[in-house]
Order: sequence, then structure tokens, then C-alpha cells
Amino acid sequence: MNAIGFRTLFIKETRRFLRVPGQTLAQPVVTTALYFLVFGYALGGRVREVDGVAYDRFIVPGLMLLGLSQNAFLNTSSSMFIAKLQGTIVDLLVAPLGVLDLLLAFILAAVLRGMLVGGVVWVISALFTGFDVSHPIWVLLFGFLVGATFGLVGLVVAIWSDKFEQLNIVPTFIITPLTFLGGVFYSAEMLPPPWSYVSRVNPVLYMVEGLRYGVVGSAGSSPWLGLVVTGGIGVLSLALAAWMLATGYKLRS
Amino acid sequence: MNGPPAAVETEDLHKRYDRLTALGGVSLSIQSGEIFALLGPNGAGKTTWISIVCGLVRATSGRARVLGHDVVGDAIAARKLVGLVPQEVNFDPFFTPREVLAFQMGYYGQRPDAGRVDEVLRALDLSAKADTNTRALSGGMKRRLLIGKALVHRPRVVFLDEPTAGVDVALRRDLWSYVRELREQGTTIVLTTHYLEEAEALADRVAVIDHGKLVGLDTTAAMLARFGRKQIRLRFAAPVSGGAAGPVLPPWLVDLGAAVDASGCVVTCPLGAGSPAALLARLAAMDPPVADIDTEQPSLEQVFLALTGGGAGGAR
Repeated sequence: MNAIGFRTLFIKETRRFLRVPGQTLAQPVVTTALYFLVFGYALGGRVREVDGVAYDRFIVPGLMLLGLSQNAFLNTSSSMFIAKLQGTIVDLLVAPLGVLDLLLAFILAAVLRGMLVGGVVWVISALFTGFDVSHPIWVLLFGFLVGATFGLVGLVVAIWSDKFEQLNIVPTFIITPLTFLGGVFYSAEMLPPPWSYVSRVNPVLYMVEGLRYGVVGSAGSSPWLGLVVTGGIGVLSLALAAWMLATGYKLRS
Repeated sequence: MNGPPAAVETEDLHKRYDRLTALGGVSLSIQSGEIFALLGPNGAGKTTWISIVCGLVRATSGRARVLGHDVVGDAIAARKLVGLVPQEVNFDPFFTPREVLAFQMGYYGQRPDAGRVDEVLRALDLSAKADTNTRALSGGMKRRLLIGKALVHRPRVVFLDEPTAGVDVALRRDLWSYVRELREQGTTIVLTTHYLEEAEALADRVAVIDHGKLVGLDTTAAMLARFGRKQIRLRFAAPVSGGAAGPVLPPWLVDLGAAVDASGCVVTCPLGAGSPAALLARLAAMDPPVADIDTEQPSLEQVFLALTGGGAGGAR
């Protein structure tokens, strides 16, 4: 492994998003805080409790996941796609950076950005709902796994995409619907059949519920199931991204 | 006994894209410390060859090695030794030249070295813009930064794919002297260029590629001796005689291989093995008189044209 190379790329990827904090950190935090205010307060008045948890507190883990997943995805996808577009990808392809160096650097930077956004969303929400966290280790574990998984998906999509339009297909038509229908604002149990069953095939639901278990202490499914689902998708994305980098798919002609 | 490995060696390198053959079996061996120029018309396969050696393109068949390391089987070791100036200008809009060069050192496993970064910035006349966002650099500066990126980690072999395209004349000369300096330090330089004078001024050896095939390979001096011609260009005060049939040269000039242009006033004559003094004496006796004389040294342009049959739009 090229330890200095990996560390350099990680620092570069981190500095890249810190260089434009208004766009990469403040903007998602403002958006998610607005969700919290609108849904937490407007709906919280009507839906007082879900599964025994105050509604405004119930939606916090989902909002954290929303910010976390979107930003982890955006960090890798925008960086890789811009590098392809600008031609700077040559710097990485010619350098003695192995698949592991590239993957680790991209993933860790994505996790860092995702967790920073998720963390700030939690802090803002906690000002209203309280700072207690039931299972911090589960929160960190899910934060890391979800960030890594979406970072990997972002990398795969960016390598595959030839046009901006393609880059936007996955977040617009797959990730955002799955996230919004993944129990961010409601419990799957609240839906009537068959929708409650349909929502159970949505993997994002288990990520949200895993994080919810960590933050509020209870969720509609076991955090272990969430771990298996998130880990499974993470491993699949990892295998795909590693294959793309190792074979040079759409990178080396 | 086996000597030291060649700096770059390719064996029967092929690259096919569907129906297009970009490289049709190029075998080359470049020795350490050489400045080697790869010439050829647009689309001849020069960039494909460099891209395969640098790991950007996968060869369809054949092998490529850098200082004995296979660029596929031992890719990381091979890449550690290489620096590439790609043909297309690229820049990262988030960073400054100083940061870009420091990152580049890191990619190659070298700890950040502010002194080395400053040295490269100075050598490429970029010190004044070291902390300016790369977006704000002019086209020439961006190209210089590309050169800096290829050199900052002190590679043993540097590939310069059209390094001076769009760079002004003064800077081009500065870069040439920098390239020579690098060679003196033991760096092997492989360059492609559209400026044949650049190859002539720098290269120890020249290879000419056309339609994906190697059509010429020798030292620059041998190439010039074999294909280049020293000639004189004569401008007459009036068209040479010939009447209504157009300009016609005296038979003795035709025998020397001279040619006259359509105006009848400009005659080009190769300088063969004969005495220049005798030729000048015969020219002095001509009517109309010779008004002006230019001499032309053998040039790579002649070599290039002889080997590629014109190479439409290839080089200048």
C-alpha cells in the first residue's frame, strides 16, 4: 500500500469539500434543518408520538441519514466526475496508487463529510429535542457504514457516467425516493398493507431504523438486521467499485 | 551478459479500437538518459503509445516495460518511475499550483517538500502565481503547471506529449534548456511534438510513427544525413527563360536536381557532393542574374515528409 499516496488523496478530497463549506456543509444543514422545522413542528403537532417516541425526536435519525447519505454520495460522485471531465483523473491513473489506496481515500473523505453534515444536523435538532443518545456506538457504526456505502455508490455512478444527466439519474430516481420512502418521516408500521410490506424491501429503511435505534433507543426492526443490510449493500458496492478501478472500466481505454 | 534494462521498451505493441488500429505492432527501446522524440502526423499513434506505457490505455497485445517493470504486471513499480505531461491541459479548480504540486509528490509516495515545490515553481516561472487558484492561470501557465506536476517527484522517465503547444517562444526555449538540464541529471525524456525544430534541437534519437507503424528510427544526426538535404534557394531578378511554355531551367541545373517555381524566379537546388565554388561561378554567369541566395540546412521536416509521404497536417 502507498500510505503517503493514500493520505495525500484523503487530505485532498477533504480539503476539496472544506474549501466550499457553504455548498458542502452549510447548504445541506440548512435544508435538513428546514425539514426538521417543517415536519417536526408542523406535523409534530398532529402526530405526537410514533412507537412511543415524540415525533420531533423520531424524525431526527432519518434527517441525519438524509444529510449523511446525500453528502457522502455527492463527495465521491462530484469529485470523480469532475476529475473525469477536467482530465485530472490522469493524475491518479498515472500515479502509483493502488485500488486500495484510491478506495480508502475516497471512502474516508466521503464518510467524513457525511458524518460532519449528519453530526451538525443532530446538534441543531438536539437543541430542540435534547442531546441524549441511547446507543452512541450504534450511531457511529451506522454513520460510518452508511457514509461508506453511499460514498461507494457515488464513486461507482461517477465512473459509470459519461454525462451530468447520467450522474443525476441515480440520486434523483433511486436514492432520494428510497430515502424519503425509507421511514425518515414515518414508521413503516404506520402504512397500510401492502405498502407496509413493500416498504420492507427498501434497504434504506433498515439504515434509518438502525440509526434510529442508536439515537432514540427503539426502532421497527433490529439494528443487527440493519447492520446486515447496510453491510451487504456496502460490500456489493465495494466489490463493484474495486472491480471498476482494478479493470480501469471507463477510466483506462 | 545482460546490461541495464532499457528506460522504456515496447515489444510488438498493438492497440485496436473496434475497426480502428491505433498501433500496429510498435517495438521500441529507449535507453536511460536519452532525449527521444516520437514524431508522426495527427492520429499516427504517438499518444496511444505513450498512454499504454503510462498505464492510461490497455494494449490489445504486446508488452511495455519501464526500467524493466512491466506496465501491466508490475504496474505500481513502473508508475513510480514515470512522469507524464498529457497532451490535453487539465487543472483542478479547487487548488493552487503549490498545493497541486505537493499533492503530486504525495501520490508518488514522497513526503511534502516545500523546498522541492518551490524549486519546480521557480524553474517553470510560476512562483508569482504559486498561491493563486489554478482557475485563474493563463493557458500557458496551466501547461507549465502540467510540466511541473510531471517533474516534481523526480521521475526517472518523463513523457512529454506535446509539452510546448500554446507556449510562447521565450518560454519554449526556457523549457528546452530545462529538459536538457534534466537529461544531464540522468532523466530519460520521451517527447512528442508538432514543432520539428523542437525535436531537432533536443532529441538524441528520433522515431517516426505513421498509421500506427514505426516507419523510421535513428539518431537525429543519422536521420538528417539520410533523408535531409542541404540546398540553396536562388531568386532571379527576372523569370528564367522558357517563353510561352513557362519557366525552363538550363539542362546543367536540371541535372543537379534543381526545380523552379511557377513564377520562374525562384529555383531550389540541392547541394550535392560537387564543389559549391564551381556552382556559384556558373550561377554568376547566368542571365537573368541571381538577385538573392538562401541556404537551407537539412531539417527534420524533410525527414518527416520523406517518411510519412506528407503526413497531412502533421507537423511544422
